[in-house]
Amino acid sequence: MTMNSSARRIAINIGSGYLPGLDLVVAGAALAASELGLEIVGIRDGYDGLLYPERYPEGGTVVLRPGIADAVGHGRSLIGTAARTDPYHVRTITAEHQIEEIDRSGDVLEALRTAGVHAVISLVGGSAVTGMHALSVAFKLHRQGLRTVCVPKSVENEIASVPQALGYNSVLSHTAETLERIRIGAQDVGRLAVAEVPGQHAGWLALQSGLAALADAVLLPEIPYDLARLAKALAHHEDVGRRAALVVVAEGARPAAGLADHLPDAGGMRASLTPNADPALGEGEHVIDRRGATAKSVALTLQRLTDRDVLPFSLGHLVRGGVPTAVDRQLGLAYGAGAVRALHRGEDGVLITFQPPDLKSIPLVEALNRIRTVPPASELMQTARALGIAFGD
Amino acid sequence: MSLAPEAAAKLTGRVLNIQHFCTNDGPGIRTTVFLKGCSLRCKWCCNPESIHPKPELAYDLKKCIGEKECGLCLKECPEHAIYVVEADGKVRINWDLCTNCGKCVPVCPPAALYQFGQEMTVDDVLAEVEQDASFYHESGGGITLSGGECLLQPEFSAALLAEAHRRGINTAIETEGNVPWEFFRQVIEHVDTVLHDHKLTDPVRHKQWVGVDNVRIKANYQRAYETFPAKTFIARTPVIPGVNDDEEHIRAVLAFIRPHKNVVDYQLLPYHRYGESKYGFLGRVYALKDFPSLPAETLRRLQAIIDEGFGRRPQGT
Repeated sequence: MTMNSSARRIAINIGSGYLPGLDLVVAGAALAASELGLEIVGIRDGYDGLLYPERYPEGGTVVLRPGIADAVGHGRSLIGTAARTDPYHVRTITAEHQIEEIDRSGDVLEALRTAGVHAVISLVGGSAVTGMHALSVAFKLHRQGLRTVCVPKSVENEIASVPQALGYNSVLSHTAETLERIRIGAQDVGRLAVAEVPGQHAGWLALQSGLAALADAVLLPEIPYDLARLAKALAHHEDVGRRAALVVVAEGARPAAGLADHLPDAGGMRASLTPNADPALGEGEHVIDRRGATAKSVALTLQRLTDRDVLPFSLGHLVRGGVPTAVDRQLGLAYGAGAVRALHRGEDGVLITFQPPDLKSIPLVEALNRIRTVPPASELMQTARALGIAFGD
Repeated sequence: MSLAPEAAAKLTGRVLNIQHFCTNDGPGIRTTVFLKGCSLRCKWCCNPESIHPKPELAYDLKKCIGEKECGLCLKECPEHAIYVVEADGKVRINWDLCTNCGKCVPVCPPAALYQFGQEMTVDDVLAEVEQDASFYHESGGGITLSGGECLLQPEFSAALLAEAHRRGINTAIETEGNVPWEFFRQVIEHVDTVLHDHKLTDPVRHKQWVGVDNVRIKANYQRAYETFPAKTFIARTPVIPGVNDDEEHIRAVLAFIRPHKNVVDYQLLPYHRYGESKYGFLGRVYALKDFPSLPAETLRRLQAIIDEGFGRRPQGT
């Protein structure tokens, strides 16, 4: 079924945080909409443009014309992002001076109706602390009757059924470059660098950037580590004449059961909604944002287990910015155009996913509540092991 | 206008918990009734399960026996909010999708899924409170209403405390004061001791840490001191390191309360992190996770200022 003539206005928003290439999705959607004779508006700052129109003197939504293509390439998102927008829990101070979290999803739907918008494209992705928040919000709005097509974006590349989320390639490239600099610097002064990279739930970024930067070891959330074993593997590298210089650690990497005493106190809680939380390590309580702590604790223990001076680094947001790679430029435009085409075909409640060589639509529920992790027996892992990369297992 | 005792006894309120043998919630040994719902959002809150007015789901992963053995909750949830993690076979909650409908709670055999908050009548609450009656007589204790914010349920709180009085039980409330004056007035008539918080002095910083400014709170307290000269008021400050552990705040509170003879004491409640794990059970992030404990010396110094303000010998000397 194709879209009827009255349904010619669509909207796009960015339901979670920043990463490179967001502007290309917006531009891709604007160009494709124009070609198909559809009008498209961008909602500013997630859903804020609809929830707080008073904050936007020039309007909470902005009409996107093909000329927007001239504005891409500066690393900006064009319509703003809102990492924490949740129309279902909008903190409000009432007339009675009470603080309440109010469900304003009805206001969002009403504002869209008033603006003549019949369908929304939402960019969704994971957050280090709260998981797939934006996808869940989009799913709920869809269940309330809003025609929805989602586009996946992620730093960790952990979205289920999505082999390549927008932004991942750029972050990978920036990470590998930074790791390369760290490795060369450390190698030159004979030190061992421990570099923590984004990856609370999945180790794709640690593994692939570690491979690209010739790391000696990579610690992933998927493979609990034993640092005594890792120290032996690093010693082996020395034995064969390779001066160990770089250990890459995913934020969510953790020690094997029974070895938790290698770590300083993580503060009692960790990883909100992290499916990997391990009750055996006292991690049952879900919530902690431990970014930055993993590199330090691993470095401290390695310093005790080896005779090396160890340098901890945490890359974090350093690798989330910058201009997108050519891969993400193409992907962004394709995801934007693909989402518009899906709406034009009459699709609803789907996530666009690049499954080479095709761009496909899958139901939102297929990505909901799932994490795409690194399979320990995958070709990528075998390649890494063949190159002598240690995993602390 | 007050209800007839029979009607009042059947009034229901949203109760979080009834805690027995409390010694820090007013005079003597007390039974503290925590009501659900709060009008502030203090970042250090140690009872996050009390904040939202309605019953809400909590989940303790350690207690889950796994999908293979059980999996009953997965069939009950109408919202796609419960899912299984392959690594350990146990369930997790997607808190964004959970609507707190509670359907998963009764089917969970190990009670890994449970609910904070329930409806109780005045009679139900007092039946449990009166189990401790023998301790009240010896210690001068009684019932304390806490929260959340007990004044947000003014009819229930007033009926509960009036009935407690009728049964000869001493009454106290703990309040943060951010409610319409009418709620305050309605309940306070039936209260012997009012424990009331002065969290921060500066209205801008009050808004930053608590979510709203303190203009109405202070106006309510001022009016309460003057309107109810026969009631006993005890001011309190939860002392949070780096937030309100400064002498200026303590001195400002003293200046505010000392002109009123019915404010008989000012107590400091040192910051603790006992509530931290509860944020986890509710799938929320604790904003103060890296906050240090309050140094004992700071507490001693602030306490000395209060003792001086009340013209008494410093405590512990």
